[in-house]
Amino acid sequence: MNWLARLFAGKPELTTQQAGRLAAWQSLPAPDLNAPCTASRYVVVDVETSGLNLARDRLIAIGAVAVCAGDIHLADSMEIILQQSRISGRDNILIHGIGGTAQAEGVPPVEAMLSFLEYLGKSPLIAFHVDFDKTMIERALKTFLGLKFNHPWADLAYLSPALCPELARSHRSLDQWMAHFGIGNFARHSALADALSTAELMLSLRECMSARHIENFKAMRETEKAQRMMHWIG
Amino acid sequence: MAAPNSLILATVDHLARFAPFDSMAREHLIWLAERLKLTYYGKGETVLGPESGPAQTFYIIKQGVIHGEQDVVRAQDDTTWLELHEGECFPLGALLSRRGVASTYRAGRDTFCFELAAEDFHELLKRSDAFHDFCTRRIANLLEQSKHILQAQYAKSSSDQQSMSSPLASLIRREPVSCAPETPLREVLESMHKLSIGSMIAVDANKKPVGIFTLHDVLDRVALAGISLDAPFNTVMSPNPHTLPPHALAHDAALVMAKHGFRHILVEEEGRLKGLISEKDLFSLQRVGLRQISGAIRNAEHLDTLKHSAKDIRLLAHNMLAQGVAAEQLTQIISTLNDVLTARIIELELRDSPAKDIEFCWLALGSEGRLEQTLNTDQDNGIVFATQAGDDAEAMRAVLLPFARRVNLALAECGFPLCSGEVMAGNPKWCLSLPEWQHTFADWIDHGDPTALLNSTIFFDFRPLYGADHLAFDLRAWLRDAARNNPRFLHQMAANALRNRPPTGSVWDFFTGQGHILDLKLNGITPFVDAARIFSLAVGGKQTNTLQRLREMNEPLHVSSQDTEAWCDAFLFIQLLRLRLHHEQCERGEPLSNKVDPDSFNNLDQRILKEAYRQARKLQTRLALDYQV
Repeated sequence: MNWLARLFAGKPELTTQQAGRLAAWQSLPAPDLNAPCTASRYVVVDVETSGLNLARDRLIAIGAVAVCAGDIHLADSMEIILQQSRISGRDNILIHGIGGTAQAEGVPPVEAMLSFLEYLGKSPLIAFHVDFDKTMIERALKTFLGLKFNHPWADLAYLSPALCPELARSHRSLDQWMAHFGIGNFARHSALADALSTAELMLSLRECMSARHIENFKAMRETEKAQRMMHWIG
Repeated sequence: MAAPNSLILATVDHLARFAPFDSMAREHLIWLAERLKLTYYGKGETVLGPESGPAQTFYIIKQGVIHGEQDVVRAQDDTTWLELHEGECFPLGALLSRRGVASTYRAGRDTFCFELAAEDFHELLKRSDAFHDFCTRRIANLLEQSKHILQAQYAKSSSDQQSMSSPLASLIRREPVSCAPETPLREVLESMHKLSIGSMIAVDANKKPVGIFTLHDVLDRVALAGISLDAPFNTVMSPNPHTLPPHALAHDAALVMAKHGFRHILVEEEGRLKGLISEKDLFSLQRVGLRQISGAIRNAEHLDTLKHSAKDIRLLAHNMLAQGVAAEQLTQIISTLNDVLTARIIELELRDSPAKDIEFCWLALGSEGRLEQTLNTDQDNGIVFATQAGDDAEAMRAVLLPFARRVNLALAECGFPLCSGEVMAGNPKWCLSLPEWQHTFADWIDHGDPTALLNSTIFFDFRPLYGADHLAFDLRAWLRDAARNNPRFLHQMAANALRNRPPTGSVWDFFTGQGHILDLKLNGITPFVDAARIFSLAVGGKQTNTLQRLREMNEPLHVSSQDTEAWCDAFLFIQLLRLRLHHEQCERGEPLSNKVDPDSFNNLDQRILKEAYRQARKLQTRLALDYQV
């Protein structure tokens, strides 16, 4: 499916049952971004794709783990592989390790994206380099469910340097931040493992956040926004 | 619940690297992982403390370090100080008894913990026997596991030996005796007789073996054939002897012997004679039994035989380690056999010595006195002799000393190095009459200077090894009263013992002396040995063995039997590590020492060692309390 085909594609066909599930998700109350972190559920997410081109590449897998009241609940996690009509290239497979068979045997995309929404609920999303994950997930939701996904996100790639300014220059990648906080990863470049490492990074930043009185999602986003401005200017 | 995702499975794999999770069923681990929370504690942050009330959470350290700090008010509690690392769990006792914790647990550096709610912890206890077993029999269980690992390791190496798959090179016992083929037969037979060897090998100018002749051949080839003893050797030898290379296996040699009916196989490397393997060598491993060794020692007529037996004792120790014989029995067996060996040396040396007319007792001192010998033990011995009115002690000593020195040298030949501190019966200072010993001991007790304190740690562990036992018993009875009646001396001994503190338990804390090295004797068993000696003297105990001393003191000093057993287990575990270390050093042909890199221990052994040191500190705390040091 190239971008032109994508542009002119009609509204996706959902079964009544699927449409009902989507409606049920849509009718959930919006998250309270002022609720304290200690009483909120956030979902940390990471995606694997067929490549790094935002316009052309496809979503292959989503990994997500919830941070509830500041702790990671291992069982409150999900990973899902979207069934691919076209298998990604060899070099790409070598990165995320999801082979041709796994890609072909993945969950049909409509089902996959519905499960993701049901797992997510209306919890705010957190990622490292949000733009990439956000674009991929939004597009998949648009393509497969016809959903315009307008959801709150926070980006640790901006929050971390904002909270640790002394490290801002030397620390850019997730790997660098993980190394700084001594965070391991059970399978780097698997969506769920990277989501867990990102969530552990989030936990490691907790003290810095409370030192700055960043106590809810809104404050996190404001800090992030300020850092983005700095980044543009600087 | 759906099939576990990769995060749950990765958590299961992570946990399964540590005890007790490594022995739990996978379904229970999945059950556990699905109920875990992952939490974070910044450096210095309190995880759990006595003020938190009954324990609500079971913690497993995912990464980082947790320090347990003792609450001063509850100094009596069993927790003194501890440092927990990746894979370790807490607080077991508090959870099991549904009470609060006695220590404050604090993150020593940024730490991630897996946390399980108390009700899930209790549910897991019901579901998993392995987990239940671990939580309720913590130390015993860790020790058990360590023993299994040890057994598996040694079982492998001993089956290597006993399945005869060891190379012939490792079985060659001595330089082969050889001669030129033209040597007169008389000369050959004389040297065979003199060296008491069963065979002679003829080699050419290039040391290539060209023939062999054994005692067995004398009858039919020489005596019955009426060959002149002036005939050259090559007329009677079996030419073109069968040879095998050094890397051939014992098994190959056995096969050749069985096939051709040979009793000897020559080992040849690059055309040169390297050694001789006899049928006896191949089966010697099976000959190494407790009874056989002690029998061989008792009947030995020459030092050479005894030297051989000393080697057998070490071999036996290896086999027993393999069979999982506990350190207590093992050290006692080694000590017992060494006693038999020493006694036989004394008997042999006494035969032609005027010393046999003097009533004396050979004393075992130091670790030998405590029956705690490992594979590397210097000699520590002395003599006490009886004097009657009018006897000249100097004159008697002059008779005893040459004999004692010969025994010391013979022991050295059997692998017990001469004592560098000269604590040996051959030293006139330690070859004393009963009154002289009493005088010496009284002097130490009265003065308590550093030398006296050091000496008392060696000499006060004396026990009779050979001769007039009653002299040693008399000395023991005298010492019992003398020490008990001098609390100042015991106080000094306690202060001295407490100068040697065991490491606090962190792996990074094992810095003792140079580099990253741990001394299993000085920092390992010595705190136990010293404390047990002082308590024993205080209660007027009869025992010299550390374990027996600890057991003997628990009643008079009101020590709980749990504490006593924990101390004994801890002491024995360190002894086992020492035995294992010495054995490995033997295998590698290195000199024996007690120094070891703690990183070389597996994770389990490191944990037990930490627990053992915690017990050592506890014992020292008791000592400090009793003597107000």
